[in-house]
Amino acid sequence: MNTQPNTEGGQRQSPASSSNLNPSVANSLLVADCGTVFTKVSLLGLVEGQYRLMARGEAPTTIAPPHEDITRGIIQAINVIEFITGRHFVSEGRIISPEQPVGDGVDVFIATISAGGPIRLVVLGAVDAAMEGLVGQAASGLYAETHALPSPSFVVTSVPNLVSVGAGSTSVSRGAGGAWTPERVALEWERQIERIRELQPHAALIVGVADGPAGPAPLQEACQLLVSAAKELNEQHGAGVSAGVAPNDVASRQIAVLYAAAPEYVEAVRGMLQGVAEVTRVESLVSQTQIGPTSIAVGGLYDRDVMRHIPGYAHLHGWSSSAPVATATSLSSLVRFLAQHYAMNVMAVDIGGATTTLMLAGERGEFIPKVNTGMGVGPAVGAILQKVGIQRIARWLPFDISEEESRQYVLNRMLHPHVVPTNQRDLQISQAFAREALILTVEAVKQSNFEWLDADLILATGGVLSHAPKFGQVALMLLDALQPRGVTSLVLDRTMLISQLGAVATVAPVAAVQVNENDAVTHRLGTCVIPFGTMPRGELAIRVDLEYTNGRQLTVDVMGGSIEVIPLRTNEQALLSLFPAPTVDVGLGPGERARAAEEIDGGLVGLIIDARGRPLDLPGDEKERQARLLQWMQAIGA
Amino acid sequence: MTYQLGWSVIPQILVRRERWPGGYKTKGIPLVHPGQDVLPDQPVLRLEKNEPVEAIETVPIPRLSLPGVIDTLTYPDHSSRNGDVSLNRLHADETLPAGLRGRVVDITRRGSVIIESCAAVLQGAIGAGNQVAGVLTMWQAPDAGRGQQAIPPGALLVIPGPLNFAMLRQAMISGVVGVIASSISSRDFEGFLRTDLIELIDSVDVELAQAHLPQMTVLLTEGLGTIAMPARTMNLLSHYQGSIALLSGATSVRQGIFPELVISLPAKEVQQNWHPVRPDPILTLGAQVRVCSGDHEGAIGSIDYLYSHEQVFPSGIRARAARLRLEDGSMLTIPLTLVERIS
Repeated sequence: MNTQPNTEGGQRQSPASSSNLNPSVANSLLVADCGTVFTKVSLLGLVEGQYRLMARGEAPTTIAPPHEDITRGIIQAINVIEFITGRHFVSEGRIISPEQPVGDGVDVFIATISAGGPIRLVVLGAVDAAMEGLVGQAASGLYAETHALPSPSFVVTSVPNLVSVGAGSTSVSRGAGGAWTPERVALEWERQIERIRELQPHAALIVGVADGPAGPAPLQEACQLLVSAAKELNEQHGAGVSAGVAPNDVASRQIAVLYAAAPEYVEAVRGMLQGVAEVTRVESLVSQTQIGPTSIAVGGLYDRDVMRHIPGYAHLHGWSSSAPVATATSLSSLVRFLAQHYAMNVMAVDIGGATTTLMLAGERGEFIPKVNTGMGVGPAVGAILQKVGIQRIARWLPFDISEEESRQYVLNRMLHPHVVPTNQRDLQISQAFAREALILTVEAVKQSNFEWLDADLILATGGVLSHAPKFGQVALMLLDALQPRGVTSLVLDRTMLISQLGAVATVAPVAAVQVNENDAVTHRLGTCVIPFGTMPRGELAIRVDLEYTNGRQLTVDVMGGSIEVIPLRTNEQALLSLFPAPTVDVGLGPGERARAAEEIDGGLVGLIIDARGRPLDLPGDEKERQARLLQWMQAIGA
Repeated sequence: MTYQLGWSVIPQILVRRERWPGGYKTKGIPLVHPGQDVLPDQPVLRLEKNEPVEAIETVPIPRLSLPGVIDTLTYPDHSSRNGDVSLNRLHADETLPAGLRGRVVDITRRGSVIIESCAAVLQGAIGAGNQVAGVLTMWQAPDAGRGQQAIPPGALLVIPGPLNFAMLRQAMISGVVGVIASSISSRDFEGFLRTDLIELIDSVDVELAQAHLPQMTVLLTEGLGTIAMPARTMNLLSHYQGSIALLSGATSVRQGIFPELVISLPAKEVQQNWHPVRPDPILTLGAQVRVCSGDHEGAIGSIDYLYSHEQVFPSGIRARAARLRLEDGSMLTIPLTLVERIS
C-alpha cells in the first residue's frame, strides 16, 4: 500500500542538470505538474522572508502528436508566468538557472507527472479473491492497472472460490461452464492470450504458493501463457518494423515479470522465461505484511517503463537536479506530512482527467492511498459512464437528461478533453461525473481491506474542483460524494499546488511548508457538521448554537433532509455547541450533545450543517429529486 | 483536440504511410520493392488473409522443469495443458492497391509496404474501420431529373453533410468501402457499427477493436451531432473527386489515433505547385480555427483578439479566451480550449 517510492530522494544528479544550487537556499522555484490533459506550472519565490506562490500558468499537456514533447506544454505554461511577471525563465528551450541578478531564471525546477497513463500489470498464477485484494493494495497508491488472469488449473481446483478472469471480463464465470473439457481449457488459453493482446501489458506479476490443490501448475501455466503472449506481442510490436532490420536489432516488446510466488520455483521460472522476459524476484506475496516490496517493485517498473518513455522525458530531466516524481507520490507525501503536522486525519482528493486519487492519512500514521486509474472527468470519463450507467449520473442533475445526451457529452469530452463547460448545463453534467468519480474511488477503497478513517480535514484539488465557479458547488460535490460524518473541514486547493508540494518538500522543505500554509490551503470552505442516525425529513435533527468572538450568539434549528449554512466567514471564529435529537449522532453517540473545546474557523461558504442523512438518500420521484437538489444547491450557494 | 498533424486540412504535405489493411492473423507478401515508384491503383501487396475455422491446434512450447514437483492436477487432455493453443485459419489470397502515388521506402516484417507520398491530408474527429483505398466519389442527392446516383462499388463516398443510419446502410449495400461525411448522431453511428462507441474509442488494442466492425470505413470530419462540413473541407474533397485515396477510420483516445484521408497529389501538381506546409497548431492572431464543443460547435472563424486576462463565461468558469470573427461576420468570445486550429 505504499505509493511509488521516490527512490532517488529527489536528489539524483542529472548529467545535463542546469541547476546545481543548494535547493534549501533557493530564492525561486518553478514547479510543474504534467497532468493527462493540462500542465500546470507555479512560480514560488521569497516575499518578505516567506515563500509564496507568485504566479501560475496552465497549458495543454503535449505528449501526443504533433508536439510529442512534454516540455513544450511546460514552456507554454511558463510563458503565461513570464507574461504575468515580466521575467524570463526559458531560453533556447531550457530553463534559465540559477536566478539571474535581473530577476530572470529560477534556482530550482521540479516536475511531477501523471501524464503517460498507468502501468498495465497482468497478475498470473494462483490468483484468488484474497490474492487479488493484496495485489490491489500493493498497487493502490500507484498509477497502475491490475488485471487478474488466474491460471486455468487454479480455476479448476479452486471452485467455488474463484475470481472472475480479467478485470471486466465475464467469460469465465464462477463455477459456471460445466466440466473442464480439453476444448474448454484450450479455449481458455486462447481467451487469456487474447486478453493479454487486448491489454498490451507492460508487466506481469506471478503470484501464488505451490501448496494448493493445483501444486505448482499455476506457476507453470503463468510461464506458458507469458511465452505464448510474448511471442504474439513481439509479432505485433515488430510487425510494422522494417523487414530489412535484423530481428536482433528490432526492439523487442519484452514484458517485465515480477515474481512474488513460491520462492523454490524462482529459478525454474527464470529458466522457462529465459529470452522471453526479464524476471525480478520480490518477496513472496502471501499476506498484507508483504505488500510493501511488491508495491516498491511495481512503482519502480512504472518509473522505468512508463514515465521514462514519455516523449521529452530526458529533456525534462535535464532541466533539474531532481528526477520528475509521480504526482500521486508527491501528494501522498504531503498528506502524510499534514496528518502528522496537524495531528488529525487528513484526506486529499484529486479529480483529474484520467485518474481520481484519494489519499487518507491518520494522525497515528495510518495511510490509505487510492489512485483510481482510468476514472476521471477528461479522457477517462467514458469509463465512469460505463461503470455506473446513466441513472447514477442523472441522479445529481436538477434537470432531465436523455441517455443520448449523456453519451454525447462523454464522447465529446473523450475526444476533446481540454474543453471547459461554458454553459450551466454542461457544468452541472461535469460536476455529476466528478461526484461519481469520487464515489467510485471511495467504493474502491472500502472494497479493499483498508480500514476507513473519518477525515477531520478534506483537501480538494483537480481542475473540476479547483476551477468550479462557486465554492458552494465544491462543498456540495465533496459532501455528496464523500459523505463524511461528524465534524470535518473542507479546504479547496484553488492553486492546484498541493499535488506538487510533496515533491517540493524533498528538495526545499521550508518552501513546501510555507507555500502550503500561505497559498495552497487558503481557500477554506468552512467547517461542516454532518449529523447521522435517524432523521425524519422535516423534523428537528439538530440545534446549533454559535457564540461568535464578538459575543454575538445565534441558535439555528436544522431539520432532517436539509442543508443549512450558518454565516461564519473567513477569519471569523465561533464556539460551537451541538444539540442533536435523541436519535441523531454527531460522533459521540445518539442524542449526545457536543461543545467544541476550541473555536471553530469560518470559511468561504460558512458553517455547513448537512442534515440530509447518511447514507444520502435521494428521492425516487424525478420531480421531487430535482426540487430537492435545487433546494440544497440554493442553501449552500452552489 | 489538436490534430495529429497540427491542422484538420493540410493541402500539401509529405507523408509516409504503411499500406496495411489491419489484422494480426494476416500476412502480407509485397509485390514491390523499396525505391520503386508506385501509382495509386497499382497492386503493392498480396494478402494471405486468414479466416477462422473450427479446428484447434496446439503449438508446443518449452516445458517448465520444477524440482520435486508432484503433478496433482489432472487435465482431461495433456496436450491442451502444455500447449499454446491457437486457432488455425484458412488462407485466401487478395491483392491491395497502393492507394497512394509515391515511392516505396520500406517493407515491414509483416510484409506491409511503406509509401512516401506528396499528399493532401484530411484529419477527422472520429471514425471507425480499417484502412481502405478507393475512388473519391461525391454523393449527389437524388433529384427528379437525374434519379438515383449510381455509386461504383469500391468507392470512397463523400457525403457533404450529416449522415444517418439509413445512408450508411445504403452505402454499405452499394459496396462502398468508405464514407467521408461531416457528422452523425452517436445513436445512428453505434447502430451501424453495432458496437459501443465509448468502448471502441477507449480501446488499447486498436486493430483488435476494428476487427469486429462492419467492412466499411467511416471518417467524420466534424464528429458527432449534426454539424455541416466546412467549405474548406468540401472544396478539398471536390477538387480531388475521382482520385484514388487512402482512408483510415480507426480512432483510439488512449493510443492517440484518429481517422484520416490521404490523397496523393497528381504528378503534375507536384511538379508545378509543390508548397508543402508545416502546420503550426499554436493559436495566433488571424489563425483559422474551429469551435470544437459547446453551443457553437462546428463554427469556423479566425482569431481576432487574444485576451490577456481570463474571461468569465455563462457557466461561471473563468478561462483564457479569444475573440473570433466567424464566417458570417459575427464575433464570438470563447475559451481557448474550445478552439482548434484548422489552418
